[in-house]
Formats: sequence, C-alpha cells, structure tokens
Amino acid sequence: MVDPSVVDPAIVAANAKGIIAIGAGIAVGLCGIGAGMGEQAIGAAAVGAMAEDEKFFGKGLLMTVIPESIAIFGLVVALILLFVF
Amino acid sequence: MLKPTKMTKVVIAGTKDQIEPTISTFHKLNVLHITDFSKETEDFKIGRPLKTASKFSEYLLSLRAISNQLGLKESESGKLTKVELSSDTDEKITKLQKEVSSRFDELRNIESRLKEKEDLLASVKPFFGLPLSMESYAGYETLKVYTGYIDIDLESKLIKIHSNFELFVGEHEKRKIFALFIPKEFEGEVQKLLQEERTYVELKVPQLKGNPPVIVDELTKEITGLKEKYSLIKTELENLKEEYSEFIIATDEHLSIETQKSEAPLKFATSANAFIIDGWVPSDKFDQIEAELQKNTDGKVYLTRIMEEIDEKEIPIELENPVVAKPFELLIDTFATPNYREIDPSLVLFITYPLFYALMLGDVGYGLIVTAIGLVIKQKFKTGGLNALALILLISGVFSTIFGVIYGEFFGFPIFNIEFKGHFEEGILGIFGPTIAGIHLPIHRFESVKPLLLLCFAIGIFHVLLGYIIGFRNEAVKHDLKHAIYAKGSWMMILIGGVLLIAKVMPALMSKSTMPTGDMMFLAGAGLMLIGVILLIKGEGFISILELPTLLSNVLSYSRILAIGLSSAGIALAVNTMAMNLFIRPEGVLLGGGIVLALAGVVILFIGHLINLLLGILGPGIHSLRLQYVEFFTKFYEGGGTKYLPFGHKRKYTEE
Repeated sequence: MVDPSVVDPAIVAANAKGIIAIGAGIAVGLCGIGAGMGEQAIGAAAVGAMAEDEKFFGKGLLMTVIPESIAIFGLVVALILLFVF
Repeated sequence: MLKPTKMTKVVIAGTKDQIEPTISTFHKLNVLHITDFSKETEDFKIGRPLKTASKFSEYLLSLRAISNQLGLKESESGKLTKVELSSDTDEKITKLQKEVSSRFDELRNIESRLKEKEDLLASVKPFFGLPLSMESYAGYETLKVYTGYIDIDLESKLIKIHSNFELFVGEHEKRKIFALFIPKEFEGEVQKLLQEERTYVELKVPQLKGNPPVIVDELTKEITGLKEKYSLIKTELENLKEEYSEFIIATDEHLSIETQKSEAPLKFATSANAFIIDGWVPSDKFDQIEAELQKNTDGKVYLTRIMEEIDEKEIPIELENPVVAKPFELLIDTFATPNYREIDPSLVLFITYPLFYALMLGDVGYGLIVTAIGLVIKQKFKTGGLNALALILLISGVFSTIFGVIYGEFFGFPIFNIEFKGHFEEGILGIFGPTIAGIHLPIHRFESVKPLLLLCFAIGIFHVLLGYIIGFRNEAVKHDLKHAIYAKGSWMMILIGGVLLIAKVMPALMSKSTMPTGDMMFLAGAGLMLIGVILLIKGEGFISILELPTLLSNVLSYSRILAIGLSSAGIALAVNTMAMNLFIRPEGVLLGGGIVLALAGVVILFIGHLINLLLGILGPGIHSLRLQYVEFFTKFYEGGGTKYLPFGHKRKYTEE
C-alpha cells in the first residue's frame, strides 16, 4: 500500500510539468481570444475601407494587426514557461 | 537602386498643327508623365479631343460587342502575333458585326421555336393513353369535352348524373387519364363533381390534327432538325471566332491606342493656335526625347526643362531596382508609393521577406512545391501583379528549400538521422548531418526552441534597427541632422540600451541573484537608454513616452517566426506519425494492417500535407509581410508619392 502522507518526488515533478503546460495553454488561449476580439472590429472597418479604395490595403493591414501583439505576448509567455522554467 | 528614378519637369509647346505628330512621338517613346491641365484661364482652355476620337471609340465599341458575343478572351490567343493593319479595318468590323449579329438573331429564333415545339410535344404525350385522334377532342356544338388525370372510378359517379355520356380511360406514365364527352346541359354538375375530386388534374388539349403517335413523330423530327441547325450555326460562330480572333484582338489594341492618342489633348492646355503640355520625364532620357521630337516635328515643337523650385509632392515616382528585387516593388506599392526623397526599401525586402518566409516554412518538400507553383504562375502570367507575386513566391520557395536542408525536414520527415528526446530516428538519407562552420546540421526545430527564439529576437532587433537607420537618413535628408537625432537617433539609443539592459537583467531575474548594477554593460545600457529617452522627450514631447512599450512589442513580435514554423512542422509531424504508425506500418510492420489500411494512411498523408501546404503558403506569406509593414516600415516609411504613369502603351499584338 502507498502511504498517502509520503509524496513521491517524481509525481511532484510530473504535476509541476503538467501545471506549467496548462499555464502555457491558458496564456496562449486567452491572449488569442483577446487579440481576436480587438481585431474583429478593426478588420471589419479595414475591409470596408478597402472596398471603397484598394489603396487602403497597406494601412488597413497595419491597423488590423495592431492587437496581434497581445497574442504574441501570450505566445512569448508560453514559450518561456515551457522551455525556460 | 534604393532611390526612385531622377525626374525632370518639362514643358512642351508648339502650334496646333503639330499636335498630332507630337502625340505620336510621345506615345511611341512611352516616357512622358503628363500633368493634367485643370486651371482654365481666358487664354488657355483644356484641349479638345482630336476629330478621330469619336470614330475610333465607336469602332472600338462595336468590336468589343462582337468579341463579347463570341466569348473571346484575351488569353486565348496566347501567342503574340503582330498583325498588319490595313485601311479597310472599319469595313471589316461592320461586316463582321453583321455576320455575327445575324447569326445570333437566328440562334435566338431557333431557341424560341425549339421551346415552342418541345412544349407542344410535352402536351401531346399524355394523349398516347387514349385511343382517339387529336381532332376528335374539339369542334362539337352540343357536347362538352373534359380531359385530365383522375384517380377514381369516374363512371360510377357519372351514372348518378345521367347515363348519356361517353368515357375513355387510359394510362400515361402510371397515372390514370380520361376523356369525357357529355351533353352541354350537364356541364354544371360535371364541373362540380370534378372540382370536388382532389385527384383531378385538368389537361389542355393542344390544337393539332392526327393521331398522337404520328404527331409526336413529326414533332420529334422537327426538333431534331432545329437542333441540327442550331449546332450548325454554333459551329459557324466558332469558325468565325477562330478566323477573326487575331484580327479582333489586334484591332482592339490598335483602336485602344488610337483612342488614347486622340483623347490626349484633354490633358493639354490649348489656346486658339497653340498647345502646351506639362509633364515629367526621366532625367537621363531628356536628350533622346528632345532629338526625337525635333526630328518628327521639324523643330516646330519646343521641349523646355523647368529648373525652378518645384513641389516635391508633384514628382512622379518610378522605382528603380535590379531585376531580382523588381517584384518586391509590388509589396511597396501595395503599402504606399514612396515619396521622392525617401529610400525605396525594395532591395531590403528582397532579402528579408524571403528570409522570414523561409525561416517559417523551412521544409525541403514544401519549399520545392512552392517554387514549382511560383514557376507555373510565372509561365502563365508574363506581366503585371501576378507575375511579380509568382516571382516573390519563387524566391521564397528557393529560400525555404535551403532552410529545409538546415532544419533537416522533408514533408516533416527527418532528412538526417536525429536523436530527439533520447529517441533515435532514422532519416531519409540514413546518415548523420554534416557539421558546417561549427553548426551541426540539422537544427531540429523542436529540440532547439530556446536558441531559435533568441535568434528570432536578434533578427528582430537588427531589422528594427535597420528601419531606424533608414529613417535617420530620410529625416536627415528631409530636415537636418538635429531633427534626425531627435526623431530616430533617440529611438536607436533606446533600442540598443534596452537590449544591453535586458541581456543583463533577464538572467539575473531568472536565477534570482542580485542585480548586476556594477557591470559595465548594464551601466552602458542604462545610460544609453536614459540619453535616448531625454532626446526623445526633447524632440517629440512628453507624450512620446507612451510609445516606448511599442518597441518591446515590436521586437517580441518576431517570435512569430518561430511560432509559425513550429506549428507548421508540428502539423507535418502529426500527419506523418498518424499515417505511418497507425496505417502504413502498424506496430513497425510495413503493410501490417493490410492494403486497405495502408491506402487510408496514404490518403491521410496526402490530405494532411495538402492542408499544411496551403497554410504554409498563406501563413508565412502574410506574417512575413506583416513584419515588414508593421515592424519595419513604421520606422521610416512615409509614402504619399504619385506613381509614374507614362503616356503610351506597350504593344502586344500589333506593330507601329
């Protein structure tokens, strides 16, 4: 029988690893949702502007991807969590 | 290279009788960017189109109508035939139009007759079921005739009304059909009876004579005849199309050019007897243009260089780049045309765009396919945006193939033998990778996330720094050195200082040791950053502090290079693992699950890689572009130039 009061260090390590992975997932996922919410409004407006005048493509793309840095922050956090810790 | 072509402002003046040779000369040279004349004065008015304009546009209109009717597409006659244009073009167009439209009228006529006959045929067919000829359904004075489908036994109900009637029943396509002849005085009662019967569907009797089978035979014959005639005319039209397609395309081009020429005076300023054209030409072509004009107009038209102060916004921009970097001008133009004194970054894009693309895609298999796609599109479209896009794809594909070798990936399969997480995997070549310049190949992307991430940040820092350097140069040219230091130099200092600082602080934070405050690098970084911030505030005001974090997010943004690369490699690996381990080689035995499972594996392999390839073209393409537009261009690019559009036309099908 396994004594519940004795904790196996291997299990602790495995647990820690799992929690880190979950953390990384949450970081990427929530940041992605946030970036998406930001981008949807800008993207719709940018496409509208492009329909009026195709020259807005460059500017439209530029504006649309501004919230994307949020997703990138999440990604960096996830990568650091997974590969540095 | 790096700078737009040098332009010279010119004014061309002459008497009105020389307007046509002048237009022809410039149209042929295809160099003059005409500035539209718009401010009319008492003496100078906007020119009127040449007399020929309306005639040419009329012919052009009929010609386009013909080619539309024939369904002629420009790409269909891919070969560039130079057609001699004769003087009887107008007659030929009129004749052709007559031939084509008369045939189309006939076609429409046949179509309507066909429809009529087919309707008739459909209405006769049900009467097959009844043993009567068609004329016996009509023409009675005292009898009323009912015909239709019905599902009940009509006779028993009719007897209740009266016994004096004649009923014929038959079947058509498994539905009961009847014809009832009954004296007119019972019309009302029968009508009521039929109306109450839900299964009753009335059939109209077509006004024809003869037995139904005979009629059907005749109609079928007529329809076949009409159809034959129809296809005959269709072939005739096809022949016409084939015969005249070259003529139409060549004449279309010729007439477009003539119309363009005769409408050119709309951009000129004209007085009662003279005309003036305002415009721009590339500086190095000035002498050639002058000589040509002199020759064609006997020196009666004057070309003058305007040397006075000019508004730079007016200068048309023609980008000048080596052949290899030329396609990347498309990406610049999509963003904005640069202004005259700016650096044209096409050449930088030629290196960085495919580099980022390849760092993301980095697979020999995908790289080769992308290269092939680029080649195919390039073959199909010789000019224009798609050609440029194809060349960009081609260069990116080649770069990706090279990086595929470095990463050691072929459709996600390892090229060289690798050891991944203590697990040995044999590569396609079955050998270990070579060591080149101290780097052991392959660099496995899943194994070396940390160094690759650092590499991405390093690339980012250099790319952003390069942007600031170009920006510094632009500011220095546009304003002065002081301005450049305030606006761009400050940012460079903050960037370099920040990098030095973070390089020292991060490891300390990670290992939870004390801050290396005494370190030279730390001090230098902090100092540089401080000076940068002070300069920035002095130059652009306090509000610019708010922009500082963008620098961090800009550099971090380059981590997407790794992220997209990993996801693409991950999908490929997943597809391969699924297909190989589950289907093609279950438990390590080739075809262990039978041929059907192996085939399923092949299908998974194919679809998986197809999807990944599509993502692999789209993702890296867009994100590489984004890094250019957002992280790089914002550091220096202003744009707002006018594109150089010379008056003229490149002849594809005709000769001068």
